[in-house]
Order: sequence, then C-alpha cells, then structure tokens
Amino acid sequence: MPWSDSLSPYGRAASTGGYGLALVLAVSEIIILALALNPDVNADYRAYYIDRTTTCLNRDAVGSYTPGQTVSFRSDGAKQAAGMMVCGWSGPVADGTHSLGETSRLRLEIPSLRDGLTATLQMSAVIRPPQTTQRVMISVNGVRVHEVTLSSKDPTTISFAIPHAAFANAKVLEVTFDYRDGIPPSPAASKIYKRAIKLVSFRLDAG
Amino acid sequence: MAGSVIEPAKPGSLSQSVAPSPVETQLALGDMARANAGGRLWVIAAAVPLLFMISGLVIRYAAFHSVSAVPGFEAYARALCRWDCAWYVDISEHGYERFPIPGQSNVGRWGFFPLYPMVVATLRFAFPFSTILIATITSIACSYAACLVAWPLLEKNMRAYILYCAFLLSGPFSFHFTTFLTEPLFVLLTSCVFLALKRSNYLAAGVSCALLSATRLVGVLAVFATVIQMFEQHRQQGGSAASFARWVLGRPDMLVAIFISPAGLFAYMLFLYLTVGDGFAFLHVQRAFGRVAGDPLLFLWDGLAAVPTKGWLPTAPQWSALAAITGLTLSVVLAARRRYGAALFCASSIILPLITNLASMVRYVIGLAPLMMLIAELLSVSKLTYLVILALFLSACYFITLAWIGGYLALV
Repeated sequence: MPWSDSLSPYGRAASTGGYGLALVLAVSEIIILALALNPDVNADYRAYYIDRTTTCLNRDAVGSYTPGQTVSFRSDGAKQAAGMMVCGWSGPVADGTHSLGETSRLRLEIPSLRDGLTATLQMSAVIRPPQTTQRVMISVNGVRVHEVTLSSKDPTTISFAIPHAAFANAKVLEVTFDYRDGIPPSPAASKIYKRAIKLVSFRLDAG
Repeated sequence: MAGSVIEPAKPGSLSQSVAPSPVETQLALGDMARANAGGRLWVIAAAVPLLFMISGLVIRYAAFHSVSAVPGFEAYARALCRWDCAWYVDISEHGYERFPIPGQSNVGRWGFFPLYPMVVATLRFAFPFSTILIATITSIACSYAACLVAWPLLEKNMRAYILYCAFLLSGPFSFHFTTFLTEPLFVLLTSCVFLALKRSNYLAAGVSCALLSATRLVGVLAVFATVIQMFEQHRQQGGSAASFARWVLGRPDMLVAIFISPAGLFAYMLFLYLTVGDGFAFLHVQRAFGRVAGDPLLFLWDGLAAVPTKGWLPTAPQWSALAAITGLTLSVVLAARRRYGAALFCASSIILPLITNLASMVRYVIGLAPLMMLIAELLSVSKLTYLVILALFLSACYFITLAWIGGYLALV
C-alpha cells in the first residue's frame, strides 16, 4: 500500500519519513551537482581535461642535461630521453620518438650560462598525402625561437640559436614544439593522437 | 492438471464442517500438486544455469588450454582477464589515484565505476585468494544469479530461459560475463530493476538502480524506465497525463525511488570531487582514452565503411557498428512490444557511448539484459531454431573465447 494512502499514525510517520528521505536525497544530489560543476583543480588539469585547450598534459618531469651532449630519442637513448619528455611524445622506437597531439614538450635542467645556446635537432616529418609538409614552431621558456617546415620522412638536421634572454638565469629550459599540420589516424580520431614529427636527436651547445 | 478436475466447493462449506470434506481434500491435494509442480519448475530453473555454468567453464577452459602451456584455474582466470579487466584489478587492489596521476600518466582510473571493484575488494578480505580468482568466481555467481532473476522476467518460458542461460554462461560472449568486467553485475542489477518494476516494487527498483548507477554510468538511465512504469501504472488507474506529476508527488515511496536511483552515481561524483577535485573526472578522463564527442551516425558510417582489406570477415569497426545497429533495432522491437521503459533504457545505453565512438560497442550491447532476453524469446519461438541456436552458442563459445584471449579488437 502506498505510504500516503495510510491514515494510521504509523502510516503518517512513514509518509513523512518518505518525504524527508526524498528531500534529503534531492538536496544532496543538487549540492553534489553544484560541486561537480565547479571543479577545484589546477590549471594543468583544467587545460587538458576540462577546457581541452592543450593535448599536452603538463607533468613534473625534468631531465638533467649537460650542454654539448647529444641525446638520442631512438630506443638506444630511451633512459635519458624519457627524463626530459614532459608530454606529447610516444615511446621511442628504433628510428626516433613520435610526437603525439598538437604540442610536445621537453624540460631539462641546465647549468647557469652567461651566453645563449645553439640547438641542433634531427627530426623527420610524418607525411600522409595530401599532407606533405609539417610546420613546427619551437619555443623556449615561452619565447618563440624557431619555425621550420619539414618535408621529408628522412631525418633533417636543423640548427637555431636560443638567445640568452629566452632563459636568462633560469635553471630549467622548457622546449615546446607546436605542430600546425599534425595528422590524425582517422578523421574522427581525437586530437591527442595526431602525429607530426619524429624526433631523432637533440643537442645544445653553449654560444 | 490436477486442479482442472476438481469441482468448485459450495459457498460456506469450508467454515461449516469440522472434518475436511472430500472436496476440501481434493482442493488441498490440488494446491499441493501445483506447489510441487511450481517447486519442481524452480528446481529446474536453478539447475539450468548451473548446467551451463559448468559447460561454459569446460568450453572456455578447453579454449584456454589449447593456447596456453600453463594449466590451472588461476592461469585460466588470468588469461581471460583482458583489456578493461586489468583496470578493475588495479582499482580493486589500489583504489583510485589523485591528481597528478603517479607514473606521469594522463590516464586515470576514474572512468571505471567503483561498485564491482569494491565488491571484489571486500570479498578479498574474507577469502585468501588472488583478486582475479575472486573476481572470476564472483562474476560467475553474478551471472548465475542474473539467470535466476531472468526466470520470472521471461514469463517462465523454459526454451527462452535455456537460451538466455546458455548465452550468459556458455555462449559466444560468456567470457564477458565470467571475468572481471562490470557486465556480470550490470546484467544482474538491470534484471533486478526490471523484475522490481514488473512487480511495481518501486523502492526495490530504485535501490537496484542506485547500485546500477555505481556500476556503470549508463546504469543511471534505468531511472527513466522506473518513471515510465509509474506513468503506465497511473494511466492504467485512469489518471491523465497532466495529473501524473501531482500523483507522483502524493506518493513518497515513488519520490524516494526516483531520487535514490542516481544515488550511486552521485556518491561516486562526490568521491571524485573530494579526491581529484573534479566530480566529472569520470567523463573528463575519457579524453585521455581518445574518446571525443561526435556524430553517432558518422561513427556508425565510418565503422561500416571500414571494409576488410583481405578475407571476408568483417573488421572490428564493422562488428561494432553492426552491434550498435542491431541493439538499436532490438530496442525498437521492445518498444513495439510496449516495453517502453526497457526500450528507452537500452536505446539510450547504446547511444550514449556511441556519441564518443564505437569502442567496446559489442560488449555494451550484449550487456543489455532486456535485449538479450528479447533475443532469447524471439529465437525460442520455433523448436528447431531454438535447438540450432543453442548448438551455435555452445560451439561459438570455444572459438570466440580463443579470439578474446588472442586480443581480437571487436570484443574489447
């Protein structure tokens, strides 16, 4: 029998209890919904998961690096390269490390330097006609330092200067690769799976 | 039947005589005969899934044994624990991560709902076995229980019941219902919701739905089936559509049933808010799994268009698209049979994941109990079809289990 149909004191109490329970449930659910609609998360979480403004989820990876050292991004250099890779990279394979998504980042700890640096990178483009080139913009600590258009599947060596002003006295160098022409594996695939380049090696020299 | 030969008793005769009259004795015997027949039927209903539980184990173990050098039940359980199963093992053993995710991963466990891993974790405290062993036994128990709950839902149609039990426990996809995936509990709780609704027990339906919503996200959609059942009851009692809301507001038991139905989901949202800071983390983390919102029709078309480059077997996307289309078609059949609540629940449970892509679509469709019961009903109409399908289920179990162990993508 429905609680509300009962006229006995017990039935009335049960009915009141039922309404009370329904009210408590409804209010609790509204409060939880309100909390969920106002997430209490940091900027990295928000950018990647909620706003989706980046495909590269920032992580606290920092690799140690000494200028003059060439870091291989092939399988043979996996250990050192892994420490530098913040996000936007797949695992290394025999001929390099694929970029993943629209941005990739490397972060490395460097000693104090009085002058700028020269970066030398070996990269190849991911090409799938009609996409025959890959434009890559490289920034260091937020300052754009180089833009290159890759058009070969074979490794291409590029070299560019990083002005001292770009990192000044910072002990950490963050190198960001932005890709304008990344290729998704299928038209409906997520942007996080786009491929643009394969990084083969990375080197910094003082001066 | 014994009851059919008994003459009706004259009015008042029962209260007037002290010693049982021949008619009373006949009536009592008739009742006993019916009770015995009902009891026998229940024994058979309990024995049928038991039989398929054993045959399913034998067939799947044979498939495992044909590709594995390591014998034993635990090795078998581990071999069948594929894809999402590993996530549930992790959740059961380690719980959910906070953010940042340890190991510099961007893929959190938040997308996997907590009830089933919690059940397994609780049982692990009581039994000194590995997680996968406990989960496998629990899954088999859940599927067995789901069969028993289906007995009254199938109107005690023995042929349909046998097919349904064979499908869950010895069928081509029985590994989904007997390993550490949410399907066993999901099917059991879905059946509980619809059995409670069939009996107009809204509170039981609400509590089952609350548990269902803590098992998988789409479980919360069963609340619409509850509301539809309430509406149908209201209309049967002569109420108008306009007065439905007022009628429900006058029934605190119905209000509790409605508001308790999504309680499992909301409890999980609160947990995620308190640990990760984001109550919708289970949705937001889908991005890290590559799920993007899009046009379901486009996903279906892309799936169908992914023709095999060699051979004639459909590709994994084609199987997934076909599963979704079949599921939606069966939902329409449910609606045509005036099972509106079940139809809406099944259709929305297919469309919701389809908004992101076709991944796991085969598993999602076969995990919808009302659809599988409908298939069992449809295929049991003819005795010949019933026997052919039964044989097909049992033989396909071996080969599809091999495909599952081999990592066939359509079965993910």
